[in-house]
Amino acid sequence: MAHLRQHADEFEAELKQAVSLGTTIMAASFDGGVVLGADSRTSTGNYVANRVTDKLTPLCENVYVCRSGSAADTQNMAAYVQYYLQQHRMELDREVSVSVAANLAKQLVYNNKNMLQAGLIVAGFDKKEGGSVFALPLGGTLLQVPFAIGGSGSAYIYGFCDKFWRPNMSAEEAKKFVVQAVSHAMARDGSSGGCIRTVVITKDGVRRDFVPGSNVPQHYGELGAQYATAMA
Amino acid sequence: MSGIGTGYDLSVSTFSPDGRVFQTEYAQKAVDNSGTVVGLRCKDGVVLGCEKTIISKMLVEGSNRRTYAVDRHAGMAVGGVAADGRQIVNRASSEAQQYKSFYGDIIPGHVLAERTASYVHLFNLYWYLRPCGSAALIAVYDRDGPQLYLVEPSGTGHRFFGTAVGKGRTAAKNEIEKLKLEELTCRQGVLEIAKILHNVHDEEKPFEMELAWICDESNREFQRVPADMVTEANTKAKAAKDDSDMED
Amino acid sequence: MAGFNFDLCKRNSFLESKGVKAPGYTKTGTTIAGVIFKDGVVLGADTRSTAGSTVADKNCEKIHFIAPNIYCCGAGTAADTENVTGMVASQLDLHRYATGRESRVVTAMTLLKSHLFRYQGHVSAALVLGGVDFRGPHLFTVYPHGSTDSLPYCTMGSGSLAAMAVFESGYKDNMSRDEAVSLVDRAIQAGIWNDLGSGSNVDICIITKGKVDYLRNYKYFMDKTYVRKFPVCYPPGTTTVVREKMVALKDVDVIEGEASEAMVID
Repeated sequence: MAHLRQHADEFEAELKQAVSLGTTIMAASFDGGVVLGADSRTSTGNYVANRVTDKLTPLCENVYVCRSGSAADTQNMAAYVQYYLQQHRMELDREVSVSVAANLAKQLVYNNKNMLQAGLIVAGFDKKEGGSVFALPLGGTLLQVPFAIGGSGSAYIYGFCDKFWRPNMSAEEAKKFVVQAVSHAMARDGSSGGCIRTVVITKDGVRRDFVPGSNVPQHYGELGAQYATAMA
Repeated sequence: MSGIGTGYDLSVSTFSPDGRVFQTEYAQKAVDNSGTVVGLRCKDGVVLGCEKTIISKMLVEGSNRRTYAVDRHAGMAVGGVAADGRQIVNRASSEAQQYKSFYGDIIPGHVLAERTASYVHLFNLYWYLRPCGSAALIAVYDRDGPQLYLVEPSGTGHRFFGTAVGKGRTAAKNEIEKLKLEELTCRQGVLEIAKILHNVHDEEKPFEMELAWICDESNREFQRVPADMVTEANTKAKAAKDDSDMED
Repeated sequence: MAGFNFDLCKRNSFLESKGVKAPGYTKTGTTIAGVIFKDGVVLGADTRSTAGSTVADKNCEKIHFIAPNIYCCGAGTAADTENVTGMVASQLDLHRYATGRESRVVTAMTLLKSHLFRYQGHVSAALVLGGVDFRGPHLFTVYPHGSTDSLPYCTMGSGSLAAMAVFESGYKDNMSRDEAVSLVDRAIQAGIWNDLGSGSNVDICIITKGKVDYLRNYKYFMDKTYVRKFPVCYPPGTTTVVREKMVALKDVDVIEGEASEAMVID
């Protein structure tokens, strides 16, 4: 009986913990656009709070953000950036540039760095610059990069991305690269998992897609029993 | 103006019965009575030119400026009360800086013009303030190309291909209308402005020209027109004027 | 501006360091859950509320009214869940008067999350929000720190693991109303029987387009061991009469009329 009670207390304590996106997120630019990718796991301590999370959040028509860190912080920050960009769009009366969206996000991260736990990747397409990717890590630095990875799972795929990212990929190649990379991270990182969501942004607009958990590419250690026996 | 003596021209917060605000109109008069300021939007940039009467033989050349940079990609020429103009310039440059630090991008021309106009308009709203006695011509070169705006004491702001304020504005605008601004380069624009300023200038008093531009030649930065070019334009303009005077 | 005052935290931690045990808050160590079905949403909750290891209330209500088309299950500190849902309900009420339109579930969700985010997790309300608006049925979980998830089925509270196990094995898309109610019932019961923080009875709330069925004590498992009779009636003669004395009233004016008029003495 006592251990059951303890279990209830543990859950209460877990609820008190921030709901966090122990995550794999990434974005890569390609010829004529960007592709964003993320796993779908949200955890509170050891418990998977949501296994079909959408971590790719729109900031405006042509710019999306990959969220990692505290779910509460990043969701609310995204809402603030959406609000600022809508105002900006009305004043400007033209398409918002990706750099402006990334700058507003930076402003929030930097000015509230003691309050927030948010690692973001801002990516999108505008007519002037084409596809661009901005990495926005914890302290509030803003870096424009050809591709970016983030979240706890990213540690496992630096080598993969450094090797397989090429400039001037096609949209299909870039999307395949992202799905491959995220699947590798999901295989090794306990806090990443579920399905893979992708967003491709080009001059023609936004295309969402998702790879169900059953179709995520499998890797060493996850392969079927026949491989295990073959190796023995 | 029929406002004088009626009591309706004492405050900016009272309309006259026929719907006018005399204080605002008087502020416009302050601009209309001072040195001419001309702005041209050419095909590769914008040129601004000011006529500055030399108030004393002892005056050092180039003092009491009327053209100011607001940002790398934007600048202003002010007509009317120079001191009021400086307040407008200060506000415009802080707006430009604020925009850049918040959005990480340069302020677009229409936003700068709108915000400057809003600031100028503020002085028309409270009984304890007097309107700005100056008008600002704003030259911007951003991703939408070169643009010219005029902000007046009433707080209105318009975009122009070419315009002028000050004593010689009517004659100046007449001459601007004859120009083919789509084909004109800023280099040619400098000479045209010099000619216009000489034409509209009251012969009796000596004057100095202050010219500034933002164009491809200035690397899309707001700068004063190089001194040798101003001297050359001045000489050519004087010669052209003398020629046409001879014909008369 | 309303807000919390944390002055006493220092005092409390000092007292705690000296060995004084502070009284606990009344928690709804809870099982709450919700599913979306073919034409609406079913919400469910147990009815136990606890203070430490003591059961504070055996039959409390954890499904709170938000709007005529939106309800919300609450877990966490009872005071916080009750007040935060109440505040949002009143804001939405005013919003309906202003707009003349039915409230949307996302509006309720946004109000809740921005309030909870502002208080950085100090308002400990973990919620399951469900409702039907012109866009159809919606179901959200809202966490104390202000994060939200939109899901077809979800659970919250200390019994959420037990309830989620039932959902993961029994959920189907496009269930009928009866299937959905029975699934939620089983999920809540999983919490009641297997989680010590949850217990007593099952409350169910079914929200469909234009209709709400709030089934209070849908399953009634645990009677109260003692029910207080109120008002308490004592039979005549319970108190013994010791002494009697009669006094006649003299010189009394009787004024006719209404009571209020009679009170006036001039």
